[in-house]
Amino acid sequence: MLQWFGKKPYLWFILPGFILYSIFVIYPIFSAAQLSLFHSNGFGAKVFVGFDNYIELFTNSELKRQFLNALKNNVILVVLNVGLLIPVQLYFAYVIYTRVKGYRIFQTMIFAPQFITTSVIVFLATLVFDQNIGIFNELLNIIGLGEYARNWLGIPGYEVITLFIINAWAGVGFSMIYFVAAMKMLSDEVMEASYLDGAGYWRRFFSVIIPQIRSSIVNIAMISYIAAMTLFDFSYLLGGVSGGINNSMDVMTLFFYRITFGTNGAMGGSVSTNSVGMGTTIACVMFAIIFVVALIQLRLTYKEEN
Amino acid sequence: MADIKKLYVTKLILWIYSSFTILILGYLIWNSFRTKQDVLSNTLGWPKSFTLDSYIKIFRDEHFGINIWNSVFILIMTILIIVALASMVAYGLGRYSFKFKQGVMLYFLVGLMFPVQLGVVPVFLIIKKLGLINSPWSVILVLSAGISMAVLMLSNFFAGLPNALAESARIDGAGEWKVFYRIMFPLASPVIVSLCIVLSVNIWNQFFLPLIMLQDDSVKTIPLAVIKYTSNILLNMDKALATSVMATIPVLILFFIFSERIISGVASGSVKE
Repeated sequence: MLQWFGKKPYLWFILPGFILYSIFVIYPIFSAAQLSLFHSNGFGAKVFVGFDNYIELFTNSELKRQFLNALKNNVILVVLNVGLLIPVQLYFAYVIYTRVKGYRIFQTMIFAPQFITTSVIVFLATLVFDQNIGIFNELLNIIGLGEYARNWLGIPGYEVITLFIINAWAGVGFSMIYFVAAMKMLSDEVMEASYLDGAGYWRRFFSVIIPQIRSSIVNIAMISYIAAMTLFDFSYLLGGVSGGINNSMDVMTLFFYRITFGTNGAMGGSVSTNSVGMGTTIACVMFAIIFVVALIQLRLTYKEEN
Repeated sequence: MADIKKLYVTKLILWIYSSFTILILGYLIWNSFRTKQDVLSNTLGWPKSFTLDSYIKIFRDEHFGINIWNSVFILIMTILIIVALASMVAYGLGRYSFKFKQGVMLYFLVGLMFPVQLGVVPVFLIIKKLGLINSPWSVILVLSAGISMAVLMLSNFFAGLPNALAESARIDGAGEWKVFYRIMFPLASPVIVSLCIVLSVNIWNQFFLPLIMLQDDSVKTIPLAVIKYTSNILLNMDKALATSVMATIPVLILFFIFSERIISGVASGSVKE
């Protein structure tokens, strides 16, 4: 046995990582799929129930309502992130790429919030936009617009927009840096040639830069799609376990968290004895939704390219 | 390029963004030296007095130092384990050829496809069985297992190294292991530095996993300790401010000092694919 290993030195290199990775990344995926077929809370007896958990998720009116509401909020976040934030990131990236005066400062400042942890970001938002202690309302009072003062972090009907704005302020830098890096990989000659041909600043952005970094844009779109579908921190920190009043800030991951590790008894007894079964069911459905859309998206882009 | 001077609106937007960030951080620091009553009732007024009480309180009474240590410990251990495991795996995959190599590579990459939430319940059950709930090792082990990105970055690097170096060392009698850690691993240090930067940002800001695994106050990381106070601002405004400053400012100072290096590290990590 030892000799067999000795002849295959790569096994020694691969094995430690392989074991840890298999236990904590690969095995849990299969285990989650399997657990979703049981009625279980992780402590007592596991009862095999087939697809009953899946059926319950889509027939129990309260579960279904919460799930679809959370999914809706995730979809809004995806649309805003991909449709609004990515263009802004591209625009900032281009401005930095062209070394507009002060670009180092902009780059540093826009990237800085990456180093502020999410709980502090939400606290900072509270300091500015809270109804009672926020400076924004104080400023409105001072300039005589006090009648508009309100709780800016929970405007009824716009809670998801609030989530998006906080997420955008904190997250704009990361993908922007990716785009800057992608632009720097392009050859200077093409840029110079188009400049000499008389293409203006924005013309070069739309006709020369964007087409050439298409694959980077698709990658980032995919990453930010997955990030928006699995957003948790801001929703939890702003809205608590229930995701705000009437689940207005709820997202799928928070719904999953509430059912699995949940603290409030809003769901009644039937679910709490099935926290693990229903939790993994939600996780699997979530993954299926993310995966299928990502596959279609990938398929379409590669088809177009060929 | 001559025509970039005209971007007044763009520059204005960027200046507003940058100054907003600076102002809000300044406001945070400023308030952390005021008393709780002063911040709550005299929000925009000139403070009656400045005090270090909030900081004394969080370190002496609330033992916030322990939370800082927990975050640092988790960060360092996780990075050490990921770098060790991933560079070994990447070396094995990048430098040797064997049957099923493509399959093994794919196996290591597949982890990138799955959101954390999918496997977190089984992971929680395993950690519980190991008795590691409320131990920093729960978070360290689970985060250290996420080596997919690191393996991808490093295996491309190792595969691209010339053979001559390893061969000459082998002729001198160095074993496989020695070739790896004496010659090949040091060569990878630029890639490893980039990797560590990307990993640090990610590990330092972890919220979901510690939230589930670490429930005792004494094992909480910085982000979790902060929400102990921010969740009830009227009661804990002073502590919320002081812990937020401690959670944010030292890291940001480090970032501002090394910003060029960090940003280029993040950028090079992205184009390595």
